[in-house]
Amino acid sequence: MSPFQIKDCALIVSISDQLPALNLREFRERVATCSIDSIYHHFCETVLRPTFDDPEFHNDFARWARRGLHDHVLAERLEILNPYEYTDLEDLRKAVLDILEDRLSELSTIPWALHDNQFFFHSATTVVFDTSLTIDSPEHLGPAVSQMTTGSIYYHFWEARRRTPGHTDDFTEWLKGWDGKGEKMIDALSHIDFYYMRLRELQLTLVDLFTDICGNGAAT
Amino acid sequence: MRSLREYEKIVGSAVLNQLEQLAENLTGLKVVHVNSTKAGGGVAEILSWMIPFMTELGITASWEVIQGDEPFFNVTKTFHNGLQGHQVNLLPSQIAAYEETNRSNAERLRPILEDADIVFIHDPQPAYLLHLCPNRKGKWIWRCHIDASHPARSVWKYLRPLLEGFDASIFSMAEFSKSLPHPQFLIAPSIDPLSEKNRKLRADEIARVRTKYNLDPGRPILTQVSRFDWFKDPIGVIEGYHLIRKFAPVQLVLAGGGADDDPEGAEVLRLVKEAAADDPDINILLLPPDAHRTINALQRCSTVIIQKSTREGFGLTVTEGLWKGKPVIGGDVGGIRLQVINYHTGFLVNSPEGMTQKIRYLLNHENMIEIMGIKGREFVRENFLLTRHLREYLTLMVGLRRGFASRLIAAA
Repeated sequence: MSPFQIKDCALIVSISDQLPALNLREFRERVATCSIDSIYHHFCETVLRPTFDDPEFHNDFARWARRGLHDHVLAERLEILNPYEYTDLEDLRKAVLDILEDRLSELSTIPWALHDNQFFFHSATTVVFDTSLTIDSPEHLGPAVSQMTTGSIYYHFWEARRRTPGHTDDFTEWLKGWDGKGEKMIDALSHIDFYYMRLRELQLTLVDLFTDICGNGAAT
Repeated sequence: MRSLREYEKIVGSAVLNQLEQLAENLTGLKVVHVNSTKAGGGVAEILSWMIPFMTELGITASWEVIQGDEPFFNVTKTFHNGLQGHQVNLLPSQIAAYEETNRSNAERLRPILEDADIVFIHDPQPAYLLHLCPNRKGKWIWRCHIDASHPARSVWKYLRPLLEGFDASIFSMAEFSKSLPHPQFLIAPSIDPLSEKNRKLRADEIARVRTKYNLDPGRPILTQVSRFDWFKDPIGVIEGYHLIRKFAPVQLVLAGGGADDDPEGAEVLRLVKEAAADDPDINILLLPPDAHRTINALQRCSTVIIQKSTREGFGLTVTEGLWKGKPVIGGDVGGIRLQVINYHTGFLVNSPEGMTQKIRYLLNHENMIEIMGIKGREFVRENFLLTRHLREYLTLMVGLRRGFASRLIAAA
């Protein structure tokens, strides 16, 4: 079995070509035409940005609906979307548009944000690089994960779902080659409700999970 | 000079490894930063650590400062005020002075700038250099540290064509970005936790500074550290102080220095002294640019930090206050909104009355001062220390070399 290659990633955020949205109708138009990378960024890459952890909202669209438009109903409907339930991000865009159009049809006036609270569409470039660290066996996963950066955690657990064939995390993919403990770990990994965790919380959860099943080891 | 490895005990070794691995893709890259002052203000502070650390990571980094006279800095202060939304008039003679100073600096800097792989131009003062270096071979980036969300038309009308020629811009917040025909990136500033201004101090050193400035340790101390500048609203802070004094015996410290490129500071300071009117509990301190330990001690002996700006690019003094475990009462503007989170790290306010009310709340809920202090420090550790800032610059530079895509695989 080949060792697990620990990768890391860093993000640089840019302003998208889309004009900012000042009201719900403009927002709907922009969501319909923005790049798919922008949709991905506002739902998935938010955890890597330098911002205060907002326990109430996990995607930027829901946050703006509440804090910018002050539309609590819309915010709750957008917040419930879990981007990882969509294997194709275009389906996620359609789900967002459905919610926005429903809301527009329900309201008699269009909600507006103040001028200094417009919604700016972002996207990001993720630079992925090799740490040159490897993990030889499942026993070594716990200690290795405890030493990872949040960039590594994001890359192997969140970002992996965008690129692995089974839309899962890199640990699960790698553990498929190991019997016994590997299967137990895969099962435990599948039960983590990671979308509602901060990366540090997820890291601690992973360390506990790997250590509970396999005990301690060390990365090479 | 410190080494990056000295930050290991604060951010962990994995974060430093990450910087080294990213920088492997940039070895030997010639990077030049240009600004308008070597001392005073947040830009100079950032560059004073960024250049040596980029060098340590194998990048050939240098820092150039443009030299100007009083007419030049009067014009660039007009730019600064205009970008931050003050209605200002830009006269043809001012534009001529601005371009002439850039021209004379270009004579000196042209060889190094044209030869660089990446040039970072900080704020508008040196922006005209781009047009004076026709044989530039690298990418030129305009780094805007200012809240340029509502610029005065006269200033933006002149600056926009100058800035359009850059290959990219960097802003601290999306709200500051402008309609420009090139990619615009977001990088928030940061502080150096081991600098003289932010490192841990011994209790006796803090006590010495407190005694030196006649501050009573038995009464709450409110401190605003910033240049004497209208946008920092020092007069509004004094108004708020007078309201607080009706119910609590607080002391106010307004501490700041001048910056070489800020000709208005003396006039603002005069009016601040007038507003203080010899009140012995208002301490107005004009400190030299190297009084970092004094500022550190003043922030550490404070009960609450204030940054009641009416416009703010980012507000590094907010970051400094949070890092020292103090709640911050900040103006509800610009980058302060990124850092001050109501009921978590402090309070955002819009008036002297708002400042008064929130400080009154904190003085009556001392446990909140402690809880917010702990949260604020961790928030800064995760997000606003120089390692994150450096990482984003390195990531940007990798992207500039390789071309931007949603995902880039760096060389091993």
